[in-house]
Amino acid sequence: MTTTTTITPSRAGQARGGADRTHDRWWAPWLFLAPALLIVAVFVLFPFVNTLALSVTDATLLKPGQFIGVDNFVRLAGDERFRTAMVNSMLYVVCVVPVMIAAPLALAALVNGTTRILGFFRTAYYLPVVMSSVIVGLIWTNLLDTRGLINQLLGWLGVINEPIGFLSDRWLTLISAMVVTVWTGLGYYMVIYLAAMANIDRSLYEAAAMDGAGPFRQFRHVTVPGVRATSALIGLFSSVSAFRVFGEVYVLTGGTGGTGGQNITVTMLIQQEGTGLQAQTGYAGAISMVMFVLLGGLLAAQLWFQNRGGDK
Amino acid sequence: MFRQPARFVLPVVAALALGACGVGGSGSDDTTATVSGEIKGEITFQTWNLKGGYEEYFTGLVTAFQTANPGTTVTWIDQPPEGYQDKLSADAAAGSLPDVVDIGPEAAFTLAGAGMLLDLSKTDPDAAKDYLPKAWDANHFPSLGGTYAYPWYLNTGPSFFNTALLDKCGVDKAALPTTFDALFTAGQTMASKCKSGETMVGRLPAIETFGAYGVPLMNAEGTTFTFNDAKGVELVTRYKQLFEAGGLTEATLNELQTGEVDAFKAGQVGWLPGSSYTLKDLKSTAPKIAETVAISPQITNDKPNMYIESLAVNAKSKNTATAVAFAKFATNRENQLGFSSKAAIFPSAAGALEDAYFTTDDGTPEAKLRVESAKAVSEAIVYWPAAFSSKSVDFMREQIALAVLGKKDVQAALDESVKYAQDNLPK
Repeated sequence: MTTTTTITPSRAGQARGGADRTHDRWWAPWLFLAPALLIVAVFVLFPFVNTLALSVTDATLLKPGQFIGVDNFVRLAGDERFRTAMVNSMLYVVCVVPVMIAAPLALAALVNGTTRILGFFRTAYYLPVVMSSVIVGLIWTNLLDTRGLINQLLGWLGVINEPIGFLSDRWLTLISAMVVTVWTGLGYYMVIYLAAMANIDRSLYEAAAMDGAGPFRQFRHVTVPGVRATSALIGLFSSVSAFRVFGEVYVLTGGTGGTGGQNITVTMLIQQEGTGLQAQTGYAGAISMVMFVLLGGLLAAQLWFQNRGGDK
Repeated sequence: MFRQPARFVLPVVAALALGACGVGGSGSDDTTATVSGEIKGEITFQTWNLKGGYEEYFTGLVTAFQTANPGTTVTWIDQPPEGYQDKLSADAAAGSLPDVVDIGPEAAFTLAGAGMLLDLSKTDPDAAKDYLPKAWDANHFPSLGGTYAYPWYLNTGPSFFNTALLDKCGVDKAALPTTFDALFTAGQTMASKCKSGETMVGRLPAIETFGAYGVPLMNAEGTTFTFNDAKGVELVTRYKQLFEAGGLTEATLNELQTGEVDAFKAGQVGWLPGSSYTLKDLKSTAPKIAETVAISPQITNDKPNMYIESLAVNAKSKNTATAVAFAKFATNRENQLGFSSKAAIFPSAAGALEDAYFTTDDGTPEAKLRVESAKAVSEAIVYWPAAFSSKSVDFMREQIALAVLGKKDVQAALDESVKYAQDNLPK
């Protein structure tokens, strides 16, 4: 008679003395995690803790400073430049995020297909994504400057007598920066939407078509609900990006924060206060912490709304 | 270093973290010890944007020093000038400041305040006689009680006017403005005659403009800023009136020096406060404008303004004696004259301006400009207070822009600028 014994993996391990070996190798997962943990610790955790510690001191770049409690935060409350920066950053979120959710979806719907011409447009729309924000900013600076192409063109057409201050008027500068941000981000989010749209069941479109729905109604009643989760994700990503906007405004204003500093954003303010020989690292740390809390709150609120929507 | 205002982008959190990592002034007062010891060993010598045009001169300078002082090695480091204060701050925070640094007074003031530069008034007081007194004094900071750099080269310059634009806009090119009154009058004339964006003035007043206008910038002790007095308010009010009349564009309100130069080269601005380098630059980059340019004395209600670049010695250098010897060698009369003959700058060494190179006009426009500028240097002063930091410069420009736009009272804008500058003085 032949006897068959099934050995489960754990038993197999025990049979080879594996239990002890597993116990001996408790450090193995940590070894695999170590490189990533090290990077996170050095470039995320340490700077964060250090910034937190700095925010309650009057440290400058060249002097370590003393503990001053919440004085930096009190100073922030009365800082006109901080108020301006907050207004600009929040306006950026309010104006850019809805466009970043809607426009790439419309674009994705238009270029969703397999023909060569659509492939060309997909590539063209994606091109700004691979360009650095500084180069994009320089291109747009040359377009929007008082001596730039757009003003020259408008002057040549007789539309204007004097150049339009796209980069000197407070609101025009902010709007110009938003346009650059949207132009740069469209292609990126369009690709994400295209991936999401590929997962929508084709039979839903066929059913809608049989019910007499045209392209617009198919888009409204099939595509939009089908990518709702993706839209929420893009809302999260673009909110964080918009609040942290730096490169576009920095380059368009020549690093000055605009006329009278009226276009400064929170990130630019941190850069201005936290760098240079006269850097006030303590104060810059306090601004960073406020930004961290606000961004955290913004993300939490969006996640809460998203989850509530999902539950329903 | 040729001044090119610029900013330097750093990842915010990393910059904060790295900055904080490097924080740690020693607090020890070793900047005043008398320098002694052998002239031997290695030192580093930092300059900005000089390798491109003057590599041969500096290589020769280093070789000459090493030959005269066997056993020494000078490593010359030259970097682009953009964001030079950020680079200095990174070095200072990391404790790796070069032994000899090419530096302006405002950066020297901050580093000296943190105990990072050698106090020459204690370690080498006799050196004062080797330099023009006003050049030596430019690195004397009363509030810190010391002198922190050897004067190197000076620069000043006349006014450059675009005569074609003056003609077009009804300004008499035979009577070019030499005072602020004449400048603002010409600016108003241009505003009334030219309606297509051309203006006489291309930038808001900087701190040195206040000085040239006759505004007292600081008290005698160098401890309190005073440019928010009635004279300062008067100056800004005149810019505001010019703006309201259309004699300043909105773009002008945010221009840095480079933007002003670009606007002049584009034929949109009538007046450019230049340097001895400007004519050469215009000829090579804007030849059509250069053909129309007329040169007249610097606009000032007092003495002309000048800028100074100096060589400071790291107080924590491992070879202080060698660093001091090299800084003095590079700034001695002979070497300053050698450098001045290659670059459009002026020497700060005592008696060097009396050299025939600066007093003889051979009839060329360059020589005429050089001789006239050298005359101006001999009477010019450094208006920019060393204690007025680059951050204060930016803040003041913003405040004045708001005042000119009518979004803030002129007096309030200057009061806030003074307060900001005062708050940023080293504690």
